[in-house]
Amino acid sequence: MTDTIKDVSKLTIKDVPNKDYFIWGHGACPGCGVAIAVKNIMKILGPETIVYVPASCLVVFGAQYPTSAFEVPYFFTAFENTGAMATGIRAALKRRGKKAHVVGLAGDGGTFDIGLQALSGAADRNEDMIYVCLDNEAYMNTGIQMSGATPFGAWTTTSPAGKVISGKRSFKKDIDHIVAAHGVPYQATLSIAHWNDFVRKVEKAKQVEGFRFLHVLTPCVPGWRSEASKSMEIARMAVETGMWTLYEAEKGESALTYKPKKMEPVIEYLKLQGRFAFMNEDDVNTLQRWLCHKWWLHYKDEVEAPPCYIYRTEKPMHMDGDPLHGA
Amino acid sequence: MVTRVISGDHAVAWGVRLARAEVIPAFPITPQTLIMELLSEFINDGELDADFIPGESEHSVMSIAVGASAGGVRTFTATSSQGLALMHEMLYAPPQIRLPVVLVNVNRSLGAAAGIWLEHNDSMPERESGWLQCYVEDNQEALDMTLQAFRIAEDHRVMLPVMICLDGFVLSHTVERVDVPDQAAVDGFLPKFVPVNVLDPDDPVVMNPICPPEYATEMRYQLDRTIDSTKSVIKEVGIDFAKRFGRSHGDLLDLYRMEDAEYALVAIGTAATTSRLVVDQLREGGKKVGLIRLRFMRPFPKEELREAVSGLKALGVFDRSVSFNSFGPIFTEVRGALAALHLPMTDHIGGLGGRDLTIEEMRDIFARIEENAIGKADRQVYWHGLRGQMQ
Amino acid sequence: MYEVRFHGRGGQGAVMAAQTLAEAAVLEGYHAQAFPYFGAERRGAPVKAFARIDKGRITLKSQIYNPDMLVLLDETLPEIEPVAEGLKAEGVAVVNTALAPEEFDLGISVVTTTVDATTIALEKLKAPIVNTSILGAMAKAQDFVSLDSIVKAIQDKFGERLGARAANLNSEAARAAYQSARTGRCKAERPFIQKAQWLPDWNELPIGVALPTTQVNGVVLGPGSAWQNMVGTWRTSSPHYDIEKCIRCLRCWWSCPEGTIKRQEDDHMKFDYRYCKGCGICAQICPVSAIEMVRGVKTW
Repeated sequence: MTDTIKDVSKLTIKDVPNKDYFIWGHGACPGCGVAIAVKNIMKILGPETIVYVPASCLVVFGAQYPTSAFEVPYFFTAFENTGAMATGIRAALKRRGKKAHVVGLAGDGGTFDIGLQALSGAADRNEDMIYVCLDNEAYMNTGIQMSGATPFGAWTTTSPAGKVISGKRSFKKDIDHIVAAHGVPYQATLSIAHWNDFVRKVEKAKQVEGFRFLHVLTPCVPGWRSEASKSMEIARMAVETGMWTLYEAEKGESALTYKPKKMEPVIEYLKLQGRFAFMNEDDVNTLQRWLCHKWWLHYKDEVEAPPCYIYRTEKPMHMDGDPLHGA
Repeated sequence: MVTRVISGDHAVAWGVRLARAEVIPAFPITPQTLIMELLSEFINDGELDADFIPGESEHSVMSIAVGASAGGVRTFTATSSQGLALMHEMLYAPPQIRLPVVLVNVNRSLGAAAGIWLEHNDSMPERESGWLQCYVEDNQEALDMTLQAFRIAEDHRVMLPVMICLDGFVLSHTVERVDVPDQAAVDGFLPKFVPVNVLDPDDPVVMNPICPPEYATEMRYQLDRTIDSTKSVIKEVGIDFAKRFGRSHGDLLDLYRMEDAEYALVAIGTAATTSRLVVDQLREGGKKVGLIRLRFMRPFPKEELREAVSGLKALGVFDRSVSFNSFGPIFTEVRGALAALHLPMTDHIGGLGGRDLTIEEMRDIFARIEENAIGKADRQVYWHGLRGQMQ
Repeated sequence: MYEVRFHGRGGQGAVMAAQTLAEAAVLEGYHAQAFPYFGAERRGAPVKAFARIDKGRITLKSQIYNPDMLVLLDETLPEIEPVAEGLKAEGVAVVNTALAPEEFDLGISVVTTTVDATTIALEKLKAPIVNTSILGAMAKAQDFVSLDSIVKAIQDKFGERLGARAANLNSEAARAAYQSARTGRCKAERPFIQKAQWLPDWNELPIGVALPTTQVNGVVLGPGSAWQNMVGTWRTSSPHYDIEKCIRCLRCWWSCPEGTIKRQEDDHMKFDYRYCKGCGICAQICPVSAIEMVRGVKTW
C-alpha cells in the first residue's frame, strides 16, 4: 500500500510474523495444502485485511456459522464472483476512506472455470485487490471432479479410469498467461515448498497497488490420493519436474524466481500420487513431452532437462488448449 | 423544485442522483440503459459524487453491489429481463444478509419468443428472493419511489433490498411531466446511510459463512417476519414524503373509486393507469366499478386486500405474465390471500411481449368481471387480445 | 424395523459400511435403506451414517435417533461426541477397539461386540480402512443378517468398484473380524459429552447472517472462534519433538496446516496437541529428524 516497494529479496521464512489470522480448529483434512497456504498468507498480510472466499473447500473448513477460523472480516456468497465481490468491497472502502487489503481466496474451479469472467473483469479494471488462486487441480469440495486446472492423465471422479477412456484428456489451462494478457501490475506463481520465495511474493503483492494475482499449488490429500505427510514433498517435486514453475511478473516483465538444478522425470512426481496410478506409458510419455515444451519455453537452455533429450529432436506437437504452444 | 419533461428511466436517474448513491455498478441492457447513461453523465460532469463500475455481466454487477453494500455504502443498480435473470443467484444474497441495495428493474419479457418489450415475467419470479418489490405507474412515481426506496431499505427496522419495477418503454422511454425536487429537500427526507453489519478490519465480522441446519429455519422465519413488518415503515415513509413534497401515490394499495364498488380489477404498473379511464367511463354509465392498484408485491398486502374487497361481488386480476399451465402470478397470490372470502375471481392475462394494452381490451376485462359478478363467467382465466378461440 | 447408526471419521468408510449392510439385508430378503449425514466435514472429522432394515417397505426418511445397533468405527469418538445418545437399552453396540467389551466404556451399559478392526485392516488391506472388518463383527452382533450375506455384499460392492482382489481382501477382513470379535456387556462410567451450543430463537438471532466476536453462554461466536473445535482428537498418530535435535529452521512451523506448532522466542517449537491432526508433515519436512510420528493420540 506504499508508493515505493521495499526490497523483499532478502526476506526469508524467519521474517514471517508469529501472529496468526487464520487459526487452529479449522476443519481441513490432515495434510491440507490449502490450509498451509492460507495460514501463511494471512500471517504475512496481517490484520488490515478483508477476506472473500467463494465456494470451495476453504468456505467449508474456514468458517461455518456461527464460528470462523479467520480473525479478520470474512465474507462468502457464491462461486463465480470473487473478482466482482472484491471490486464492490474495495469500492466501499475507498468511499469510506478505509485502508485494507481486499483478498479473494478462490480455488482453481472458482478461478479457471466458473470464476474466469469475474477474474477477467476485475483484472481488466485493475481493481485494487489480491486474487489468490489456491490450485488443488480439481473440484475437491464437491468430491474431486475435474476442472480446467486438472493435469493431463489425472484421475478424478469425472475423469475416471474407464475401460475406454482413462484420466483427463486435455492439458492444464495456463491461467497465468490469461491473467498476464490483462497486463496486471503483479502476478506470481507460488509453491508451499519454496517458502522463502513464497514469503517474498506475498510481501511484494502486499505492497503493490492494483490487481495482484497469486497462484499457489496446494496439494490435496484425498483428491490426489496421496499420503498426508507428503504434501510438502509433492509440492517440491512439482517444481523439480516442471509440473509447476516459479516466476513472477511485474508490469508485464516476467522473471524466473527459482531454477531447479535439472529436470526430474515426471514419473517421480506421478508416483507419489494415486490419481496418476492408472496412467499408461503412452500417457506418461505424452505428459512428459508436453512438459518438455513447457520447460524449454520457461527455462530456455538454462536448466538441464535430461528426460527431454529423447523428445528434443521431435517436431513440436500441436496440442489444443495449450497456450504455451508456439509462443 | 424543477419541472422537467423526462422519461421514466431519466426520472429514476434523477432520483438516484438526489439520493446521493455512492456506488453504482451496471451492465447495459435495453430498456434500462438510459438510466446508466444519464447517471454516467452526472458522475462525469461532477454533479454526482459516486463510483460508476462497469461490471462485466449482471451477475458480477449484483456481486459488486452486494460487496459495496456489505462494505457499508449506499448502492444502486438497474437492469432488465435477461439481466435480472442472470442476477438471480446473487439476488438471494442481500435479503438474508440484510443489505439495503436498491435496484430498478425495467420490465421486459424474458426467455425465448421474447423481445425487448414489456412483460412482467422477469421480475415476478423474483418475488421469492426476499426483496421488497414495488411497481410504479408513472414517471413521477418512478422518481419518488426511488427516493423512498433508499429510505425504506436503509431503515434499521428494515435493512432489506428494494426492487422498483417500471414498465419497459411504456414508462422507461415515454417522457412525461415530472417534478424534480430540490437537493436540500431530499437531503432532509433521506438521512445518510448507517450500515448495521460492515466488512471493516477495525471491527471484524464473519459475514454469511455457510450455515448448518441448526440455524436456517430461524433465519428464514426472521426474514419472513421482517418483510411483513416493513408494511408500517412503507406507510410511515409515504406519509412523511407526502408531508414534505405534497405528493402521495397511495399506500401498499392505491384504491380508485372503490367506495361503493360491486366489482373491481386488481392491476399493477401502467395497466392500472388505463383502467382508471375505463373505471371513469363505466362509472359515468352507472356501473359501480373500481380499481385496486397493487403497489407492492412484497410485502404482499394480504390484510389490506381483504379489507379493500369487502362488499365486492366479483374481482378480476390483471396479469402481464403467466405461470404456464397455472395462473398469472398476481392472481395466484391475490386468490390465496382472499381464499376464505369465496369471492368470485377471474384472471386476465394480456399485454404480453410488448403487445399494446388498449382501452377496448381493458373494457372487455371489466365486462368479463361484470359477467362473473352475476354468475355468468364461462372460465377462470382469460387471455386478452389472443387470436383464435381460447380452449 | 431395525435401525443402525454408524459413527466414524471421514475416510474410514462409514457410509460404505452402511450401504454394504443394507445390501446384505436385501440379499436376505429384507427391505433396507442406507444414507450418510450430509455434513460438510472433511477427512478425519467425526461423521455419521445410518441404515434401516425391515420386512416391508420402509416409509421413514428421517435420521435415526434411537438405534437398535450402534457402530463405532473409532473408539475415541465417545470422548468428543455423545455417540451413544438414544441407543435403546436393549440395543447393541459394535466397537472397533482392542479392548474386551467389559473394558470398553460407552457411557451406557449394553451388549457390546468389540473387534480390533484397525489391526485386521492394516494386516489384510495395508490401510486403516476399517469398514469391512467392522461389518464382520456386526454379523456376530445380530442374528438376521448372516456373515455369508455380508461377505456376498462386500464382494458385490467392492468387486464392482475396486476389482476382485480388493473384494477378496475385504471379505477376508470381514471373516477374520467375525472370528475374533468378542461379545459382552460394556461399562457405563463416562458421562455423555455435553457440547455447548448456541441455539437462539428466531427473534434472538442477530440480523444479517453476520457476527462479531461475541460470547454467549460460554460459547464464543464470530471471527477467530474456531479454536473451540478440538480437532486434535482426529489424529491417529502424534508428533514427538526432540528439542535437543532441533536446528530451529522453522520448516515445521511453516508447514503445519493447523498452525498448532508454536514458534518460541528462540525459534524452538512448542506443540499444541489440542489441534494437531497428526498429518505427519512436520516429521517429513524436518531435516534433522527431530520430529517423529508415534501411533496413537499422545502428548508430551
